[in-house]
Amino acid sequence: MKRFLSLYAALAFAFLHVPLLVLIAFSFNGGKFTVWEGFSLRWYQSILHDPQLVEATGNSIFIALASTVLSTSIGAFTAYGMWKRRAPVLQGSLYLSLVTPEIVTGISLLAFFQYIFRWLPFRLGLMTVVLAHVAFSVVYVTVVISARLTTMDRSLEEAALDLGASEWTAFRRITLPLLAPGIAAAALLALIVSFDDYVITSLVAGVDSETLPMVVYAMARRGANPVINAVSALIVVLFGVLIVISERVREA
Amino acid sequence: MNLRSWFLVPARLTIGLFFAAPLAIVCGYSLLTRGDYGGAERPWTLENYTRLADPLYAQILLRSIAMAAAATLLCLVLGFPLALFISRAGKRKNLYLQLVVLPFWTSFLVRTYAWLFLLRDTGLVNTLLARAGLIHHPLALLYNNGAVLLGLVYGYLPFMVLPLYAALEKIDPALLEAAADLGARPLTAVRRVIIPLSRPGIVAGSILVFIPCLGAYLTPDLMGGGKTVMIGNLVQNQFTTSRDWPFGSAASLILLAFTSLLLYVFLRRAEVR
Amino acid sequence: MIRRRAFVLSAAASASCAFDRRPRLNIYNWSSYIAADTIPNFERESGVRVRYGVYESNEEMLAKVMTGNSGWDIAFPTHNRIQPMAKNRLLASLDHALLPNLANLENRFQNPVWDPQLRYCIPYMWSATGIVYNRAIQPAPVGWSDLWSPRWNGRVTMLDDPEDVIGACLKKLRLPFDSIDPRELEAAKQAAIEQKRQIRAYLNAEARDQLVSGDVLAAQLWSTTSQQAMDASKALAFVYPFEGYPLYADNAVILRESTRQKLAHQFLNYLLRPEVAAAIVRTSETATCNGRAKVRQTPTLYPPPDILARGEWPAVLPASAQRLSDRIWTEIKSS
Repeated sequence: MKRFLSLYAALAFAFLHVPLLVLIAFSFNGGKFTVWEGFSLRWYQSILHDPQLVEATGNSIFIALASTVLSTSIGAFTAYGMWKRRAPVLQGSLYLSLVTPEIVTGISLLAFFQYIFRWLPFRLGLMTVVLAHVAFSVVYVTVVISARLTTMDRSLEEAALDLGASEWTAFRRITLPLLAPGIAAAALLALIVSFDDYVITSLVAGVDSETLPMVVYAMARRGANPVINAVSALIVVLFGVLIVISERVREA
Repeated sequence: MNLRSWFLVPARLTIGLFFAAPLAIVCGYSLLTRGDYGGAERPWTLENYTRLADPLYAQILLRSIAMAAAATLLCLVLGFPLALFISRAGKRKNLYLQLVVLPFWTSFLVRTYAWLFLLRDTGLVNTLLARAGLIHHPLALLYNNGAVLLGLVYGYLPFMVLPLYAALEKIDPALLEAAADLGARPLTAVRRVIIPLSRPGIVAGSILVFIPCLGAYLTPDLMGGGKTVMIGNLVQNQFTTSRDWPFGSAASLILLAFTSLLLYVFLRRAEVR
Repeated sequence: MIRRRAFVLSAAASASCAFDRRPRLNIYNWSSYIAADTIPNFERESGVRVRYGVYESNEEMLAKVMTGNSGWDIAFPTHNRIQPMAKNRLLASLDHALLPNLANLENRFQNPVWDPQLRYCIPYMWSATGIVYNRAIQPAPVGWSDLWSPRWNGRVTMLDDPEDVIGACLKKLRLPFDSIDPRELEAAKQAAIEQKRQIRAYLNAEARDQLVSGDVLAAQLWSTTSQQAMDASKALAFVYPFEGYPLYADNAVILRESTRQKLAHQFLNYLLRPEVAAAIVRTSETATCNGRAKVRQTPTLYPPPDILARGEWPAVLPASAQRLSDRIWTEIKSS
């Protein structure tokens, strides 16, 4: 049984990773098309010489961080609030936002922003992208943190309240620290969802708000492009290293 | 207003402003007439909904459901042993979990193109098979329903594995030992002990996979070579090439209503058990 | 919480403009439609800060600019979107006095059918849809009907675009490319369904790599993308179908909402310089409307007059025909 599972897991991981490994291998291909023409680093060099790519990466990182901070805070409060007392309407709408197809979320947000911007001195741009990302990632955060809360013992906080702590202090000193791993996992999820989104982002983006997925999409729709392979390879390696480091820290 | 109500205010604001209000606009659009090049104009009409009664669209919806259900089932069958393995992996658990998520840091499109590259006539799989002398003509691995299914499974497998893992991880290994002591064979233990106890994970994972698969449109386009239409493509086309926002709005509201209903029934049944 | 949000928002809003006091110009163009040094050179000589964004379809661009407060100054719609945009008062009329380089346009783009006096637009790039094929398979195709032939053994792709596919079917039946007659469209649908059984896929630019690698032997494809494939593989050739084929041109326009009309004119005039146009063509591998630009002339990118005469500039379909065409496309795709 155990051996079967290990073998199976190895195959499953291969299934998940082989396509990317092939992609990474071809980021070192000298040729432009998908025929091997010798080792070369030219695609990595061309990343640095593409100001659009560099700027889009900056935008993506800013958007992902800003929307993660916002959505994680909002989601944590929400999960906690719903744990304390039922809020069926809010919960229902959160789930509804989860099942809404991306294109519909995107179009409706675009229509909404354009509608209110008739009266407000704003335009589509970084701000609308951040707001849109917050709107669609709050539910992921809430779900993950709620899952953590269901395994938590209510009596701890009640004890604190009995001992005279204010509600806010009880939340800050007792519940929040216990929630920390859940919040971290939720923030990670929010970060991934924000970093990867193309459909909604492209619809609410305006001047100054090109993101990395938008640039990658524009390149990829024109066929295989080794620059994209190089960008992807860098992303995978970067996060791979981050994972290994965080594992080391955890073990230490 | 006491403190605990304040905790929900940010979410109420976010959802109200950036989900409910935009959705209300889409509802409005669905009752209007198409503008010449996108957008919506008066007069008000129900025509967008009556147009959906066309059996052509019902057929597309059914096909999409079948595809999404097949993808969900496959994810479950493939993801379950993996989640079980990770939940039994001791100290390495986190590392393995991260490995499941790692490919998903790259753009969805990039991952899909990686598969195109593997599965083409002159792709890696066909080349290797031909070199090994197993085939003489390249196999048609791309641009069929099987390829779409593969793309969906690959794209959403982690959404199944993560909740499954969360559920499996809570199961006390002592229960399995007890089953073994009582003479249950490993597979029997899985069937009689592990699967029933991991039901919440199965439910959550199935929802997280089924719903996005139902609305998928890029995978059918890229892996299916645009030879099949799923409901997501239909909606997408209305907002792009067809420039028919009202009809697109109506179609997406129907899809939304249908998905919520499905979700509701599913959650209800899962709760009753 | 609220304060933090306000902070992030204001930071986002001011992030890029606070540090740069130069006048700005916001340009919204198709992706891969400009040379790497086009914008930096313009910024250097004009002292303007340019923000450059890209889109993937006319609809994406229109969805943004149609409310008239998108912030973009210049966009590049396809020829058949010019009149609808002008009718909806989205376009600024051009001041030809500020555009002396207009004389550099190739003659036939000095008074195009979609805007004969160039009141709103300046033709920028153009292309056509035709057939690119592998020479190994004989006989070589000459028209759309050859894409129904069994000799490709299923290794044919069509564009993933209703206008082009239905148009090719109409042309195969010797009907006008942008027909709106329901009976003619019905006949085109039958032809497309018949063809669907023997084609590999509906692909756009992705077809290029597969033609080069030999996966696909013939494809309905744009002339510019085909030229790129032919540059990479000697086995490929391109033909303008004898039944007729569609031509497309993307045009530079200044949006009416723009508060920087003078600067926008200055940029358009800059784009019209022969050396600027030539540099763009070298990177984007497309065909320019600029007649004075010294660029590579191939019969695929710049067909001779007798072949050009067979081309049509498709008009945008009226609402009812568009709806019918969408239903037909859905039916073809789900057959």
